[in-house]
Amino acid sequence: MFSKKFEDTLMIIAEKVDENKYLNSVKDSFTVFMPFVIAGSFAVLLNSVLCSPKTGLAQWIPWLSNLSVAFTAMNFATLGIMSIPVIFLIAMNLAKHDKNPEYITGVVAVASYCSVIPEVVTITVDSVTGKAAGIPSAALGAQGLFVGMLLTIVIVRLFSKLTKINAIKIKMPPSVPVGITTSFNTLIPIMVTLVTASVAGALFHLATGVYINEFVYQVLQAPLEIVFQSPAGILAIVIFSQLFWFLGIHGGLVISPIRNPLMAVAIAANIAAAANGQVPDQAVTYGFWMNFVVAGGAGMIFSLILAIFMFSKREDHRMIAKLGLGPAIFNISEPVVFGLPLVLNPTFAIPFIFNSGIACAIALFFTKIGFMPCNIVDVPFGVPLILGAFIGHGWQGTIVQIISIAVAVVTWIPFVLMANKEAEKEVMKKAAEAEEV
Amino acid sequence: MNIMLACCAGMSTNLVVSKMEEAAKAQGKVYKIWAVDQTKIEAELGNFDVLLLGPQVRHMLRRVTKILDGQVPVDVIDSVSYGRCDGAAVLEQAEKLVNKK
Repeated sequence: MFSKKFEDTLMIIAEKVDENKYLNSVKDSFTVFMPFVIAGSFAVLLNSVLCSPKTGLAQWIPWLSNLSVAFTAMNFATLGIMSIPVIFLIAMNLAKHDKNPEYITGVVAVASYCSVIPEVVTITVDSVTGKAAGIPSAALGAQGLFVGMLLTIVIVRLFSKLTKINAIKIKMPPSVPVGITTSFNTLIPIMVTLVTASVAGALFHLATGVYINEFVYQVLQAPLEIVFQSPAGILAIVIFSQLFWFLGIHGGLVISPIRNPLMAVAIAANIAAAANGQVPDQAVTYGFWMNFVVAGGAGMIFSLILAIFMFSKREDHRMIAKLGLGPAIFNISEPVVFGLPLVLNPTFAIPFIFNSGIACAIALFFTKIGFMPCNIVDVPFGVPLILGAFIGHGWQGTIVQIISIAVAVVTWIPFVLMANKEAEKEVMKKAAEAEEV
Repeated sequence: MNIMLACCAGMSTNLVVSKMEEAAKAQGKVYKIWAVDQTKIEAELGNFDVLLLGPQVRHMLRRVTKILDGQVPVDVIDSVSYGRCDGAAVLEQAEKLVNKK
């Protein structure tokens, strides 16, 4: 069914993604930044549980509503300005890869980014519109992520090239400490890079009338967001990810360079919507993925374990299911994936590849009909089933998660029965062979 | 001997680590065994004598081999021993890698 060629192609894709320094830097940066995204979304949770006069402790202790500003600030400091730390991290990771000075490269990238985004905002006070100094939140927050990533790649390449040109290096006597020499030798490249960035940014604005961050958001990021949030788009991504798992490769990790930025964008958009009194509408977030795509482990492994407990007559499968139960409650699938194994196992291929997609479709359905809200609190990896769904998506989330786990149990059952039959055949074959001898 | 395991988030390899520690203890060996997220491999350079990758990140083997530059042996954990959390088998794999060097 799965040809060797197909397997090789996927393996090569996984290796190429892993070896690509740009994708790798993006991936590593988001791994570092993820806790901040979650902390920022928990600020929203704290705000509603403590400070909200409607839903929080502030109903009884009104003073607590004074603290609301603190949690709003915490959310701004993490999600609201996420482009800046992400740019810094990507630049640092790229510099590390190229063996260039990491911190300087990080600062250069942030400075370059700040030089191309607007420094004035249009504000309206008492129906008079005017300009004031300030950076628009769109440039600092999630809407700046993709332009930030692209610009960082270009800037770091330029800066790295410039630092390697010997002709523009300032000569220092050997007695001068290395740190000082490094800082002087990066001075000219820094200047050239920043002049290039700010002039290019200004020229772009002069020529087109829009800032480059607005332009990249419109032509690249917004369409990507739409595709990522569309049922067809996300289902394709989920199934693509499971194909890797079928080979025994961490599918989520392979797609993370593109998936994680879009998830960060989605949670930020949901939080911003909620703060403005609108209904959050970005379904696919990190919490959504954890709760409804990989519930019990990628491929709905917790459901497979239940199906094995109920119907499997195979001692080896039951043993692995017992071993994998604890981890699966925490969405860790590896013991079953490699122990059963599910890797390249034709018997279980269909549900293993498609079950996460089905679960995702179920959750999207319940979101679309308005039963389940889009989350504003993200759930980290490692929060157990049920609890994770409750934190992220409320009691509705818990119900939807139980439904999708139950549906997955049903889809696993025929294949567990098939595995029983195969084992029986195997035993009969062995018995027949034994008789022949 | 210092044995480091790496996977995505270091969570599933941690299950194997505890089984390996049990196996090492049963054999009377004093090893330091720990698991990290795959992004931490470079930061840990010099701390480990052998690196084992979880099979789910085996597509990183080529890049990681380059990073280690022949200084430290590295391999992908046998996937069945990994799935069954067979600490003794993984421990043996690590020892073999070090001794081969």
